[in-house]
Amino acid sequence: MSLARTLRQTMTVARRDFVATVFTPIFLLFLLAPVIMGAFGAVGGLGAASVADSSATKERLVAIAPPDMAPLLKSADARLRPAFPRDEGPPELLTVAPEGDLAAQARGVMERKDVDVSAVLYGPLDRPTVLRGVLGRRDARYLGLLAQEALLQRRLGADVPAVTASEIEHARRGASLGGQRGSAFFAVFGVFFLTLFLAGQVVGTMAEERNNKVIEVLAAAVPLESVFLGKLLGMFGVAVLFVAFWGTILGQIGGFLPPSIGAALGELTPAVGGGTFLLLFFAYFTMAYLLLGSVFLGVGAQASTMREIQMLSLPITVVQVGMFALASAAAARPGSWVATAAELFPLSSPFAMAGRAANSPEIWPHLLALVWQLLWVAIFITVGARLFRRGVLQSGSAPGLLSRLRRDPA
Amino acid sequence: MRDGLAITASGLVKRFGDRRVVDGVDVAVPAGSIYGVLGPNGAGKTTTLRMLLGIIEPDGGRRQLLGAPYPRDASDRVGYLPEERGLYPAMKAKEAIAFMGALRGLDWRTGRQRAVKLLEQAGLGHAADEKIRKLSKGMAQLVQLLGSVVHEPDLLVLDEPFSGLDPVNQEKLEALILAERDRGATVLFSTHIMAHAERLCDRLTIIAKGRHRFEGSVDDARATLPSRVHYQPRDNGSGIEGVLPPDAERENGGWRFELPRDGVEGLLEQLIQRGYGIAGLSIERPGLHEAFVRIVGEADAAERVQ
Repeated sequence: MSLARTLRQTMTVARRDFVATVFTPIFLLFLLAPVIMGAFGAVGGLGAASVADSSATKERLVAIAPPDMAPLLKSADARLRPAFPRDEGPPELLTVAPEGDLAAQARGVMERKDVDVSAVLYGPLDRPTVLRGVLGRRDARYLGLLAQEALLQRRLGADVPAVTASEIEHARRGASLGGQRGSAFFAVFGVFFLTLFLAGQVVGTMAEERNNKVIEVLAAAVPLESVFLGKLLGMFGVAVLFVAFWGTILGQIGGFLPPSIGAALGELTPAVGGGTFLLLFFAYFTMAYLLLGSVFLGVGAQASTMREIQMLSLPITVVQVGMFALASAAAARPGSWVATAAELFPLSSPFAMAGRAANSPEIWPHLLALVWQLLWVAIFITVGARLFRRGVLQSGSAPGLLSRLRRDPA
Repeated sequence: MRDGLAITASGLVKRFGDRRVVDGVDVAVPAGSIYGVLGPNGAGKTTTLRMLLGIIEPDGGRRQLLGAPYPRDASDRVGYLPEERGLYPAMKAKEAIAFMGALRGLDWRTGRQRAVKLLEQAGLGHAADEKIRKLSKGMAQLVQLLGSVVHEPDLLVLDEPFSGLDPVNQEKLEALILAERDRGATVLFSTHIMAHAERLCDRLTIIAKGRHRFEGSVDDARATLPSRVHYQPRDNGSGIEGVLPPDAERENGGWRFELPRDGVEGLLEQLIQRGYGIAGLSIERPGLHEAFVRIVGEADAAERVQ
């Protein structure tokens, strides 16, 4: 059987599946699903932000300090606070004059109804006590620092040196280790995220042919392996269309991002270089899709009803998340045995190798990995088709290449 | 193709579990002929056809399709209408036909052009752009049939093609089968309706209980049963039973019996001499239907003995 003929048969099936999927109203819904998801996310995020805002504005640090120390604590707070990013600073500082039993007063402050107090400092400033809430550990330490600053200020007075540092920005030319780890995670997560949504679609595609009996027409005309691969490629075409559509849109949005975010993205420097990385990312997305897709297709082909297919969606998600976890572990520890295992195991290999592209600059392992992964796609499709032939079409196994050669008249 | 045969198979065996669904079937289909595979329900016809086409692999035996020892190698030259019809419901009729052609190597554009032409010839020109789900069952079946011939195959295999069609469409289908044969194609079809086989088949095989029980022309099949004589005496007087053969039975005031081996002339002479006379006489050759029932009945009896 010639390769051209097999390819033609495969592409006929692929074309049918692609057209049947894309030229339907439901596809628009699928294509725009991220918008819907994003809209829900935005609404939820706004709600959460407003809740967080209102609680944050009502949170306070309290220092119980005599009137002569209160201004010193305030000015120490003014000096130290700029070291924190804008939204991550400690809560606003209140100073309260001491009254009677300090410990009792501090407990009273913690119980205030008008504001949430995360930590209260009382007692002599060189040996203060800090009463803090469960989440107030950082704020308690900050209060300790304020006490020390205030004491320094009182002792040195005008001799406290004023230091003004001049800042110069420098972007490292090679990939920084943090940037590599960042892009490794980004790569693993990106491949996972795309395949999570897209590869699962393949699972039910054979059910269509089984239900409308077209399988007999296909099986008579075309080898089952071509049917399986064709369906996989058809659905992959749909996935590529989806990715290209959103890739273009996100690319355009990227141009409007504020420069600081652009700079932060610039820090994501994969070890193999940006262009190659993009190429490898797409190659591994393809392989992840084909590998997971071929397994799902083969398993899904055994299911005869929609109910059975729905039951399969949980194990499928579990497998994908498992592969993601394995590959994430590999990306965090390049060169470890976990990494090697994840790179070799066929189903996690594309994820792990995408991470490796970010972590290490050699190209040859990728070529090897792509061949290795393709081999497994072929194995999964062959096994899936065989199981289908045996279980569903109730055939014996087709003659393998070896037995064909042996039986062919010389 | 060896010896002018489009299909040869010998000793085909297929087991589903412990059951031998097909148990040593031989088929030899001459190229350019219309060949029938006849058998009662569950005889193994469909399984035999699927093995011949390479959809499933036999557990034993050999087969050759259009000269190819592996039927799939010739699949582009074959058209097939399966017993369980199936098309994509969302496809338009002409697309469905073109798709079936494309699976067998016909390019899409030619496929669409031929589809429109074929649909018009079949009186379905108006349905070319209709989706399959909007067509009646019979129309969809015709569309699938056209899809199996759109690439002008050398071999057309039809599994129970007449079931589900009304008499008008059955007639159309018979015309199409004859037209395909005239184009030069070999047509193999299975059926359990004898009238179609009797009208169409050049040769046929009868399968029962998974085994092949007869192979030959329609005339050969009919010749497996002797002709029957219906004799109407002018004077149906007493003693006539003594002259007639022992198997003679009364029927509507006359007699019916098997045609004697040496012909009916001697018997008639005796009847005239003894004064019974001849008011009516007919010699009827048995139809394929009778031959089929007997062959299948023998197969049943043989299995019971086993």
